[in-house]
Amino acid sequence: MVDIGFPIISLIIFLPIVGGLLVALVARAGIKVLKIYTLGLALAEILLATVAYAMILANDAGGSYNFVEGPFPWIPAFPGIDYFVGFDGLSAILIFISSFLTVLVLIGSWDLIKERQMLYYSLILIFEGSIMGVFSSLNMIIFYVFWDLVLIPMFFFIGIWGGPRRRYAAIKFFLFTFIGSVFMLLAFILIYLSATPHSFNITEVAGQIPFSLQIIASVLFFIGFGVKLPVFPFHTWLPDAHVEAPAPISVFLAGLLLKMGAYGFIRFNLGLLPEASAQYAWIFISIAIITMFYGAIVALRQTDLKRMIAMTSINHMGFVLLGAFTGGVFGISGAMFMMFNHAVAIGIMFMLSGYLHEISGTRDVTVLKGLKITSPRAATVLVLGSMAAMGLPIFSLFLSEFMVIVGAIQFDPRLAVVVGIPVITVSYFLWMMRRTVMSTPSAETPRRDISRLATFALLIFLVPLVLTLIAPWLVLGMVDPLSQALVNLMGGG
Amino acid sequence: MAKLDIPLILIGALASAALLIPALDVGLGKVRNAKFSAYFTMLILAFALLILTIGGLGLVTLDSSVPNLLQNDLLGVFFGFVVILVALLVTVASFDYMKDNPNVSIYYSFLLFTSLGMVVLSFAVDLLMIFVAWELMSLPTFILAGFMKKDKLSNEAAVKYFILGALSSGILLYGMSIIFGLSGSTNLNVVLNALTDLSPNMIPVAGFGAVMLIAGFGLKLSIVPFHMWIPDAYEGAPTTVSALLSAATKKAGFVAAIRVFAVIFPLLRFDLSMSLAIIAIATMTLGNLAALTQKSMTRMLAYSSIAQGGYLLIGLVVLPTSPLGLSGLLYHSLNHALLQATAFIAVAAFRHKTSKTSISSYNGLARVMPITAFSLMISLLGLVGIPPLNGFWSKLVLFTAAADGGFAWLALGGLVNSAISLGYYGIIVKRMYMDEPTEKVSIKESFPFTAVLLIASMIIILTGIFPGPVYEFASRASIQFLSGI
Repeated sequence: MVDIGFPIISLIIFLPIVGGLLVALVARAGIKVLKIYTLGLALAEILLATVAYAMILANDAGGSYNFVEGPFPWIPAFPGIDYFVGFDGLSAILIFISSFLTVLVLIGSWDLIKERQMLYYSLILIFEGSIMGVFSSLNMIIFYVFWDLVLIPMFFFIGIWGGPRRRYAAIKFFLFTFIGSVFMLLAFILIYLSATPHSFNITEVAGQIPFSLQIIASVLFFIGFGVKLPVFPFHTWLPDAHVEAPAPISVFLAGLLLKMGAYGFIRFNLGLLPEASAQYAWIFISIAIITMFYGAIVALRQTDLKRMIAMTSINHMGFVLLGAFTGGVFGISGAMFMMFNHAVAIGIMFMLSGYLHEISGTRDVTVLKGLKITSPRAATVLVLGSMAAMGLPIFSLFLSEFMVIVGAIQFDPRLAVVVGIPVITVSYFLWMMRRTVMSTPSAETPRRDISRLATFALLIFLVPLVLTLIAPWLVLGMVDPLSQALVNLMGGG
Repeated sequence: MAKLDIPLILIGALASAALLIPALDVGLGKVRNAKFSAYFTMLILAFALLILTIGGLGLVTLDSSVPNLLQNDLLGVFFGFVVILVALLVTVASFDYMKDNPNVSIYYSFLLFTSLGMVVLSFAVDLLMIFVAWELMSLPTFILAGFMKKDKLSNEAAVKYFILGALSSGILLYGMSIIFGLSGSTNLNVVLNALTDLSPNMIPVAGFGAVMLIAGFGLKLSIVPFHMWIPDAYEGAPTTVSALLSAATKKAGFVAAIRVFAVIFPLLRFDLSMSLAIIAIATMTLGNLAALTQKSMTRMLAYSSIAQGGYLLIGLVVLPTSPLGLSGLLYHSLNHALLQATAFIAVAAFRHKTSKTSISSYNGLARVMPITAFSLMISLLGLVGIPPLNGFWSKLVLFTAAADGGFAWLALGGLVNSAISLGYYGIIVKRMYMDEPTEKVSIKESFPFTAVLLIASMIIILTGIFPGPVYEFASRASIQFLSGI
């Protein structure tokens, strides 16, 4: 266990939330000041997250909870609801990636968001704080509070700053994810009541949930987290939300919101319900494979660039689910690594799709032509981003896909069928690049390019992907102890 | 510690103020008294709230001079606090809403009489006292519902409400007479002792009496199948009165039901909780599904109020089996009263300025009336149970109680219903914040409304972030009550 002498986690959670509530005061000094203020807070978050990350990595403490605060009773008369937060390897990775993406989203928003900026930046900060809370809560109710708190800013992001069908998409998103979350809450309540003494703290209920309840809770969690991830039958909100959301918010949606589902599966299904997860792993794995093939095949025939990327997200999240339930170190570590890589790689693509829409007025692959000539900077980023997203071995997404596939084959050789997925992914990305980059510009193609700042911001996304390919221990050193612990829980070797 | 007889003080204060206000029409003249009576009512209610707060904080010993009729316990203090808080919010909201009415002083006088009835009902432990308080609470609200005497809808609401109210009183009295016949007493404690050794062949009679009581209370608590009058009454009545009916009188009905059922249920030797559980799930499902299809804001809130009554019933279902049941019921009563009152007051503010009630007229409200829209959003999200607003915590307690008391399916039903309710509440938020306003005129929001709405929203948010003290109050009241029976 690592500690630092001041409540670093609370600072990470509440600095942006309080900062977001104070935006109205800062905005009086002008929009420029507001932008610098939000960026300053986001950079402070990166700093804090990096410190926490580095300390955990240096002490090889990814398998246990660090910087723990609490449990402090929230409602003294209702025992079990405590303010209780801590970071293990998985949390630290997601906290880091959240703070990293927030900065890039802020820079991207400067060009792309022109309306009601005060509310927008305020909600960005509240969103950041809430998502930090999701990834660090060790009490199920606090987790649920932050989980739902994330929905509110996202509902407004999509509904106010989104595309033409934004209101429909916003309501659909809100309803789907809220309905999922109530099932999750029921599972929390049942787990609470089964524990003696009654408690919502993850550390206290772990290991004392009877098998029959584990099965019920698995089903309930599956609905709750499956909607977020999303898995095949519950995914229909995602294309709408992604397509309608403004580009920076799509980065949040794909990069962070989907990770909430994956995080939930690993933290709760594997961590709290290990026996049921091991016994019924094949159900989850089948659903993961359906989801992957569905995402990949549907992505094949999309002409809207953003919709295609959204479908790629579904496909990648299927990998995460598959890896998590293989019950081996390769699979679970690969899943967590994949979460990290996917957040970054898909982040580039979504942000870029927003810029392309800004300079050309369309995201339609059949209309965007000759980017190589008209917009060389955008074309470069598009090619590099696609290479990252389809898992080419110069970026670390390749490594995590490889790990998951190895894990899957270890679980059951027949799962080798999943090597077909990267093939499909590569084919539609190549098809998209051939149409947009390697074609001759048509008369109506606007001759503009994305700004230097935007190019720079987008290329920063690639740094972690290259870095973690060269030095995968930067991530795996954090998650391996955790995966090992989960594998032991699930009864594997 | 000093002794404090809360019911006696409140009866004295509220009754004398209620009687004095109309008389001042003669002394001050109608015009001057219109203003005076509003402020005076506010002061009296604020005083009552202060007394109840002192009692609730445990700063004094609770003492009653007529313990056989009015029991001065924390349960009574809690519900007294709920109803007086709502009455106070409604009074302040009425400053502007009732400004142009010629009979303002009568309005405030009746408001005080209802409050008096609700307070007495909160403390009453004698069947006859309960009935008297019940009538004292109901009769003024019949008139208040029809207070817009030139408005056809208001008249319709009053007549409907009156007929069903009279019916409910009759049924209630019938049930009480059966219980009296079996036990020979109207005091609930004596009834408890007398019924404990009831001969087995009298059990069906007692059961019949209990069903009558459920039906009688049910009409006021708006549980299915006694809910039909609610939407019409709430839509026709002045909206501030709808706030009072849905947020306060319903809660007072619950306290009477708690006191009576806590005594009668254990004695019936057959299990009524399953039937109540079915009523609860029917009430919330029907309320929510009907609310989904409404075109008028007040009707939608009326159905939502019915649905919320279903959640409260959960507490009554698991009252015998889970210690959390009663505290959850109390806690949600307070939170729901606050949320529902805020929602209705926001609707009243909008209706007062535009005289529109249709849901589509709320498009773009956030730009036209930002404070009203914000408060309405907060109260609606609170009613859904979105954390960290107070409605989330009380629903959590209720659903945990349901699962704890062996009704996990009821908890599931309640949770799914919360999700359904987001369907209509979320649409309102979407309309207010995301749709374009139909008319781009800015409406000046009047001060009493904005003040009351902002204060209520602040309370909703703060008691959501720091739910500890309020829950502790509810929990203490429930523990004290349960240890007494």
